[in-house]
Amino acid sequence: MRTLLSLALLATTIHVSSMTVMEADSLVAQGTRAYAAGDHATALARFDSALTAYSSPALLYNIANCHYKLGDIPHAVLYYERAARLSPGDPDIRTNLEIARQSVVDRVNELPGFSLGSTWGRIRGGRDGDQWARRSLWICLAFFVVLAIAVVVRQRILRRGLFVGSALLFCATLLAVAFAAARHHELTDTSEAIIMSAKVDVRSEPKGSGTVLFVLHKGTKVTILQQQQGWSEVQLANGNVGWMPPATLERI
Amino acid sequence: MPLRPHLIPSVLLAWCITIGAVAQEIQFNAQVDRTSISTGEYVKCTISLTNSRDRFEAPSFGGLVVVQGPFDNSSFTIVNGRMSGSTSRTWVLTATAPGKYTIGAARTRVGNGIIETEPITIEVTKGAGQHTDPSASQGQSRDPNLFITISVSKNKAYVGEQIVATYMLYSRYNSLETTKSDMPKLEGFWAENVELGETNWDPQLSTVNGLQYRTATLKKQVLLPQRPGKLRIAPFTMECVVNRSFFNRGSEVSIRSNPVEITVSALPPGAPPDFNGAVGELDMTVAVDRTQVKANEAIELTVMYSGKGNLKLMEAPALNLPGDLEMYDPKLTDKLNLSGGGMSGSRTYQFLIIPRHEGDFPLPPITFSYFDTRSNGYRTITGPSVTLEVSPGDGSTAAVQRPNRSDVQVLGKDIRYLRTGDLELRPKGAHLFGSAIWLTGMGAPLLGFLLFLGWRRRREAALNDTAGTRRKQADRVAREHLNEAAQALKNSDRNTFYTALGRSIHGYLGDKFGWGPAEITAVNIRSRLGAFPQGASLADELVDLLEACDMARYAPVEDRPRQQLYDSAAALIGRTEQIVRA
Repeated sequence: MRTLLSLALLATTIHVSSMTVMEADSLVAQGTRAYAAGDHATALARFDSALTAYSSPALLYNIANCHYKLGDIPHAVLYYERAARLSPGDPDIRTNLEIARQSVVDRVNELPGFSLGSTWGRIRGGRDGDQWARRSLWICLAFFVVLAIAVVVRQRILRRGLFVGSALLFCATLLAVAFAAARHHELTDTSEAIIMSAKVDVRSEPKGSGTVLFVLHKGTKVTILQQQQGWSEVQLANGNVGWMPPATLERI
Repeated sequence: MPLRPHLIPSVLLAWCITIGAVAQEIQFNAQVDRTSISTGEYVKCTISLTNSRDRFEAPSFGGLVVVQGPFDNSSFTIVNGRMSGSTSRTWVLTATAPGKYTIGAARTRVGNGIIETEPITIEVTKGAGQHTDPSASQGQSRDPNLFITISVSKNKAYVGEQIVATYMLYSRYNSLETTKSDMPKLEGFWAENVELGETNWDPQLSTVNGLQYRTATLKKQVLLPQRPGKLRIAPFTMECVVNRSFFNRGSEVSIRSNPVEITVSALPPGAPPDFNGAVGELDMTVAVDRTQVKANEAIELTVMYSGKGNLKLMEAPALNLPGDLEMYDPKLTDKLNLSGGGMSGSRTYQFLIIPRHEGDFPLPPITFSYFDTRSNGYRTITGPSVTLEVSPGDGSTAAVQRPNRSDVQVLGKDIRYLRTGDLELRPKGAHLFGSAIWLTGMGAPLLGFLLFLGWRRRREAALNDTAGTRRKQADRVAREHLNEAAQALKNSDRNTFYTALGRSIHGYLGDKFGWGPAEITAVNIRSRLGAFPQGASLADELVDLLEACDMARYAPVEDRPRQQLYDSAAALIGRTEQIVRA
């Protein structure tokens, strides 16, 4: 069923890219071989060209691995974060993200709250970006099937039980749709970003004369609150807010 | 102790004079035991004066060096009242360089005259087989009585190869005091002083080109050249006071040694990867005190470097032990000997290894590379590969032997490996949520459910309306009977044909109008079908057909061919259906 769905998705977007999924798969295979041979730069180039048209948590994870091996920690963190955003429950991605973060200079204490790493976050996040959308489809189907059976069945107790079950499934459908919507919003509206410059002065105002509030270094994750004249107002995980000059960030 | 003239007892002299002998013939001559020597050999020169009591001057030796002497010898003889006396003086001479030397004339006064000896020419050839330190010869040519030298064990060396430098003092003075010495600064060398203790005269005299010297080793150093090129040891200077005695203040002498130049060549290329600068004549032995142990028992691994070379620079070998062995810092034992031969001896590293778990632990062999000065090439010594067989401890060493659970040691940290296989690639930016497929997927069950409900409702209605069902299926049932009739027609089965044909029309009319079998009468048919347009003629034809069938079934009368009956029955049913439907 999932492959059918993905094929259908492919069919809807096939006009967007000239690359077929076969070509992308062969690029990925070449990249994997180069990585195994220790040629991380070539591997990165292959994976990147596959990424121009296709994406998946595993592909982002592989790209991040290449960046890490090439010593480019900010990009490694960026791609691990992207992979983790798609697939928050993946242990490999989490582990490598943690290792990559250890090479980041700034240590920011995160405020307690929901993160994608927590159990709730994993439940909410699912295996990839589309999981809750898929789940909503299945649960919706199950709801109508149970409802249909309940309509047919004549035995009283069974009929009542099936009706209760279908009511629960209806609630589950609504919940799944809500989750899917939330995930969709999360994936399309990215406010989190990774610092790419070696060192950034974070100022109190969106201009170069503003007071320097604090200094951040490459690889640190920030949340973009708003943007003005290219400057971004960012918030750190510990709640500090300041303005950053343009072209120092890359959105996750 | 040589005899001196003034030591002749004056009593004897007085006695001689009193005897008052008649003057005899005076003889004065010089003699040498040989006229040709080689350097380092000695020539004895004796000058004798007979029948004269006068003294004589020593001749000039013309470059020959006095090794010993003068020794005086006097003899008096009285024969028949005639007294004769002679005095002789002897020197032992040598030459430091080949050449012709002339012992000059010796003079003495006789009466009012002076007599001379004949000069003697000594030919000195180059001595063969005589080994002398060239630096000593050089020093000797600077000053034959007192000089200092620097001698090195070799003038050509590789970087790191050890050279022994010896600083020597040669003296022929009886008394010598050194007041100041200035040792050379060494550049480009790593120097290790050989401990000599207090500077003393060497117990044995040494001979340089035949001259005997008291020697003292001032200093001895082991030099390790640190860079290639021509390295120079600058001369060192000393100030000495010689011949100081109670009566004599002595004289100050400043002496300067020879410089030394050493040609240091770089080590040839092609050094093994584990080469770390060891040069010399070295060896390495690796020993393990035992290979079969119980867990938690200690093993001693001994690595010994020995030979001649810069052993002090040898570092502890890297063992690369398997992870489960505990190793302590090695104990270092040096048995080094700094001597005239340079640095030699051994340096031993003792490692204490404690296996914490049972199993076989192969220890990787230890390798050691050095530059061998004997063969002028690199040599690598590989130690034996040892496998430790560790059996579980039996509790004799520790009171309780519990299975030793320990955390898995994290030896390194790295990211996890790539994802391989199917990466489940999706077109970029394609989200399932909100897409047409998702909307279809959500809508389809709803639609299906609604259709299901509709179908079900219709079915229930149909179940409640049996007459309607009969009516709907009338045409189908009638056609089944007609097929049966057609079969019978083909088989020429008269009875079955007529039965099936009658039943098809009976059944059709019954189903269509909800009649029981008894209600299918000509009257009913006519009244019912008459309500439809063209229904009257149709009713007539139907009744006619039914009658024909009944006639044929119950009486042997067939007024029409069967095929015609069949065709008209099929046509009638079709026409009735059309009329009723419309």
